[in-house]
Amino acid sequence: MYKPKLGFFKFSCCAGCEFQFIFFQKHVPETLAAFDFVYARMLRRGGSPEGPFDIALVEGTITESWQVDELKMIREKSRQLFAIGTCAVNGGIPAIKSNLTELDAQKSVYRNISNIHSIRPHAIDAYVKVDGYIRGCPPGDRDLNEALSAVIAGRRPDFIEYSVCVECKLKGNICLLVAYDMPCMGPVTNAGCGALCPSMDRACYSCFGPVKQSNGPALARKFRLMGLSKDDIYRKFTQFGADSIEFRRAIEAYED
Amino acid sequence: MKINIDYIARVEGEASVKFDIKDGKLRNLKLNIWEPPRFFEGFLVGRKFDEVPDIVSRICGICPVSHMTTSINAIEKAIGFVPSSEINNIRNIMELSQIAASHIVHIYSLALPDYHKLDMLKGLDTEIKRLIRLKEAVNAVTALFGGRALHPVSMVAGGFTKVPSRDDTGRLIGGLEAVKKDALDTVKMVSELVYPDLEGDVEYAALADECGYALNDGVITTTSGLKAGVDSYHTIFAEKEVPYAKAKKTVMKGKKPLMVGALARLNIKAAMLHPEAASAAEINGFSLQSKNPFHNIIAQAIEIVHCIAECIDLLERLSLKDYFIKVSMREGSGAAMTEAPRGLLYHEYRISRRGIIEAANLVTPTAYNFLGIEENLKKLINKNIDKPVDELSLLCEMLVRAYDPCFSCSVH
Repeated sequence: MYKPKLGFFKFSCCAGCEFQFIFFQKHVPETLAAFDFVYARMLRRGGSPEGPFDIALVEGTITESWQVDELKMIREKSRQLFAIGTCAVNGGIPAIKSNLTELDAQKSVYRNISNIHSIRPHAIDAYVKVDGYIRGCPPGDRDLNEALSAVIAGRRPDFIEYSVCVECKLKGNICLLVAYDMPCMGPVTNAGCGALCPSMDRACYSCFGPVKQSNGPALARKFRLMGLSKDDIYRKFTQFGADSIEFRRAIEAYED
Repeated sequence: MKINIDYIARVEGEASVKFDIKDGKLRNLKLNIWEPPRFFEGFLVGRKFDEVPDIVSRICGICPVSHMTTSINAIEKAIGFVPSSEINNIRNIMELSQIAASHIVHIYSLALPDYHKLDMLKGLDTEIKRLIRLKEAVNAVTALFGGRALHPVSMVAGGFTKVPSRDDTGRLIGGLEAVKKDALDTVKMVSELVYPDLEGDVEYAALADECGYALNDGVITTTSGLKAGVDSYHTIFAEKEVPYAKAKKTVMKGKKPLMVGALARLNIKAAMLHPEAASAAEINGFSLQSKNPFHNIIAQAIEIVHCIAECIDLLERLSLKDYFIKVSMREGSGAAMTEAPRGLLYHEYRISRRGIIEAANLVTPTAYNFLGIEENLKKLINKNIDKPVDELSLLCEMLVRAYDPCFSCSVH
C-alpha cells in the first residue's frame, strides 16, 4: 500500500500541535498505519530530516535565523507543506513580542545576552510557500483530519474559512457581544473550535487567529463604543494575531 | 573521543548531550538546551492580568493546566482574592487529570519503546490500545471542565466560567472506573521492565501538605528536611545562566542537585497516596523510596492510579455551586507554586492598580532538574564508560527521557 512519507517539524512553540497530532486524536492506530513517519522527533528516535517528504507539517513561529534555513530546506524536500497551529499560521503567541525591539526582549529575560540570537517573530509563510493552513491553538480536529485524509486521497484539502460567529449561530448560542456586551473576538476569528469559548460563557480570545478579509477595524470601533480603552483593544488584537495583516490593520490606530 | 547526541528524540522540545572521553575519563559533559528562547517573562509585561492564564498555557503543550493554575493562584494572591473550596476542588480535578494524561503519554509513547528496543511505539498493539483507553478517559475529565483537553478555556482568575451538570460528571466517574484496571496493568507492566542500574546522589523536592497529596498548595519540602513556604522562595533557590543552554539552571542554595517530579513526590509524600495507589505499589514490589532516576517511570505509573482514584473521590464530592466569584482589582504582587506533572512550577507576578503586569518570573520543573540530569548523566557514563558508543548514547538518552523533561517549558 502507498504510504505518504510524513515529516513533522517544530520551531519556536509549545509542541502542543505535535502532541495533538499524535496523541489527542482518537485515530492513533490508523494514523500510525497510514503514514510512513520519516521524521517526527517527539514520536520516534532516528529518522532523517533530509526527506524527501510527501507531506511536511510545520509547527511554531520562526524566531531565530537558523530556522529560516531549515524551513527553506524542508520546503525544497517536500511535495506539500502545511502550517499547523496558530504559531506557524499567523505567528501566534510568540509574535506578541513584535512590539518590543529584540534587544529589549532579550534584556528582559537574560543578563548575558551574548548567546541569544533571536529575530523578529514571523509566521512561516513569511519565508516559504505554504500549501495549506491547519488553524487553531491547539489545531481543530476537523481541519487536522481533513488535511491528513486529503493527503492520503491525493486531493486538495478544504479547510474551514469562516468566522466563529457561524459556528455560534449553528449551535444556537446567544450572542455575547450583542446581548451581554462582552468583548468577543468571534466576528473576526477563524472558526474550527466549535464556538468553544462562547459555549463556555466567555468571550472568544481569537486563538484560531484572524479569518481572511475580516473587518478588524470595525470590531475595534465597536469595542471602543463599549468602553474598552485603547490599550485593551490593542491587547485583544495582538494576543494571537500580532503578525497578521488583518489584526495589524485593526490596531494601527491604537498603537503608541 | 567526542560524543555528541545531536538531539534527544521523544522528549518535548530540543536539547542535545555533549561530552568527551579521553584516556577513559569523562570530561566536559553538557546538557545543551538549544531550543530557542521564547521570552514569556518579557512580553507578559504590559499585558492585563486576565489574559495571563491564556498566554502562559501556551508555554507547554503537555501541561497547560499547570501553567494556568499556577498563574491564576499567583494572580489571586497578588490581588488578595481567596477562592472557594469548590473552586479549589475543581482545580485539583483539572490538575489530577492532566498529570495522569501527561504520565500516560510519557510512559507509553516516550519511554517505553527504549525498553522494547524500538524507535517508536508502532508495533506494540496491546500497549497502544491501553494508552488510548486511558488517555481518552482522563482527557474527558480535563475537556469536560475546561472546554478542551489541550489549552482549556474555562479557567480564569476567580474560578470557572462554566461547570458541567451532575449527569456529565456521573458519566466521567463511569469512564474513570472503567480504566482502573488499565492503570493497574500499567503499573504491572512498568515494574516488570529491566532498568539500568544507577544510584543518583540528588535531593528530592516536592510540595507537601498535612491534609493530602499536595498539588496546588503546600510547603516546599526536601529529603534533607527543609520545609519552607513559597514566600521564602528567593532565599532558598537561585537561578544561574549558563553559556551553552538557553534555559537557566535553578539550584537550591547550599544543597545537592535537585530532582523534582513523580519520583521526588513519592519519596517525600508516599504516605499521602490514595490507598489504591499504595497497594498497587506494594503488590508490584516497588519500594516507594528509590534513588534510581530510571524508576521515575514506575513512580509515574503509581501516580496514574492515584490520580484516577482521587479524581473519582473528588468528583463524587462536588457540589457544582460557587464556582465563580468576581475578582476586584488592586495593586500587589504574588507568587505561587504547584506540582506540574514533571515537578515544581513557580510563577510570580507584580500587578499594577489597573491590572497590568509589571513584572513576571516563571521557573519550570526542567530548570530544577537541569543540574541533576547532568550530575546523573556523569555518574551513568562513568559507570558504563567501556560500553560501545551507540549503547552509551542510548543509555544517556534513556536517562534524560526518564526525567520526562520539557525543554520547551525550560526556555519559556
